[in-house]
Amino acid sequence: MKSTAFLLLCSFFLFSCSEKKKSSNDTNKGSKADTTIVSKPEKPVNGYAPVDVSPMDMSYFPVNYPILKMSDSITTPPLARVVYSRPHLQGRNLFQEVLKYGEPWRLGANEATELDLYKEATIQGKKIKAGRYILYCIPQQDQWTIVLNSNIDSWGLHPDVSKDVARFTVPVSQTDNSFEFFTMIFQSTTTGADLLMAWGYVETKLPISF
Amino acid sequence: MKKAFGIIILFQFFFISLLAQNSLPPVDKSPMDMGYYPANYPVQKINDKITEPLAARVIYSRPQKAGRTIFGGLVKYGEIWRMGANEATEIEFYKNVRFGGKKINKGRYTLYAIVNETSWTIIVNKETDTWGSFKYDSKKDVARSQVLVQKTDFVTESLAMAFEKSTAGFNLIITWDNIRASIPFTF
Repeated sequence: MKSTAFLLLCSFFLFSCSEKKKSSNDTNKGSKADTTIVSKPEKPVNGYAPVDVSPMDMSYFPVNYPILKMSDSITTPPLARVVYSRPHLQGRNLFQEVLKYGEPWRLGANEATELDLYKEATIQGKKIKAGRYILYCIPQQDQWTIVLNSNIDSWGLHPDVSKDVARFTVPVSQTDNSFEFFTMIFQSTTTGADLLMAWGYVETKLPISF
Repeated sequence: MKKAFGIIILFQFFFISLLAQNSLPPVDKSPMDMGYYPANYPVQKINDKITEPLAARVIYSRPQKAGRTIFGGLVKYGEIWRMGANEATEIEFYKNVRFGGKKINKGRYTLYAIVNETSWTIIVNKETDTWGSFKYDSKKDVARSQVLVQKTDFVTESLAMAFEKSTAGFNLIITWDNIRASIPFTF
């Protein structure tokens, strides 16, 4: 019994040690990872395109559309997709070290986050034409303003507000667990989809009707 | 004693897996990336330093060599290869281009290759928003062309793509392992 308790203690100690080590290492990697152009040197050398610290990702609606299409489970066209990069916290506190309330944030990293609407959609009663937009947000403590902007194929910094197409204010909620990587996915609803955005202990949803 | 240890290990795995569930979709093993022609167009755009009009963009995922032989090994000679991972590699032309003696209208396409030792057949296909090359249908090809490939004296760990200027348009450079391919598109 004694040895069990000892082992248990040991294992917790080991676990907490490795966690601590990891986070302190990560903090050293780069404190402005999501606001600057970051690149991680790759070994062996890759002169053409080093792998980004904040990897890009893509989410479709209907959810997993490319897989559904590949497996012949869907024949209708897709409705929407986002292409975004995924900064990670690396030990930082989201609203103390990364984002500031009231300041525009690009909802991603590197290239501006892109929303493709394959069909006209309605957001908070406003019709949004099919097409390509970029997204950014202005976070506040209780709500975020999500902005659709027409300055596509641009880099995420310094959004050109003269090209704003629409602004929507949505409430934010606190999550129990922290999201290490910024995450954007679509979740199916009765009228269309929520575009869920989550990072750190915060998540928000932009409801879209098709 | 052994049993107690086993329980602890089990408990730890459970604990770790709980932690791992925090983020909804995990970060992909083969991360996605994007390349523009002209190169770095988005940065040029926000700095008002556009060198020439936007012509093309590629979105692809970047598998790693991870100690494997890629060409003739993981990617079999003579078989269709998705030139990426996960979602099918997408190439978008913002103006009409010519490739393999054919005109390609501006728009979004998927990109595949049939790899051989000294040359690749590059395929531009119109079936977009799909996954890999598992449902590749040659009936939806828009253009095909063979390019010679070169051996590099360095090894590229993560599949890489980048556009570069050419005399009549631009080339899409692809490197992985010790192979380099250059795909010429002209205006």
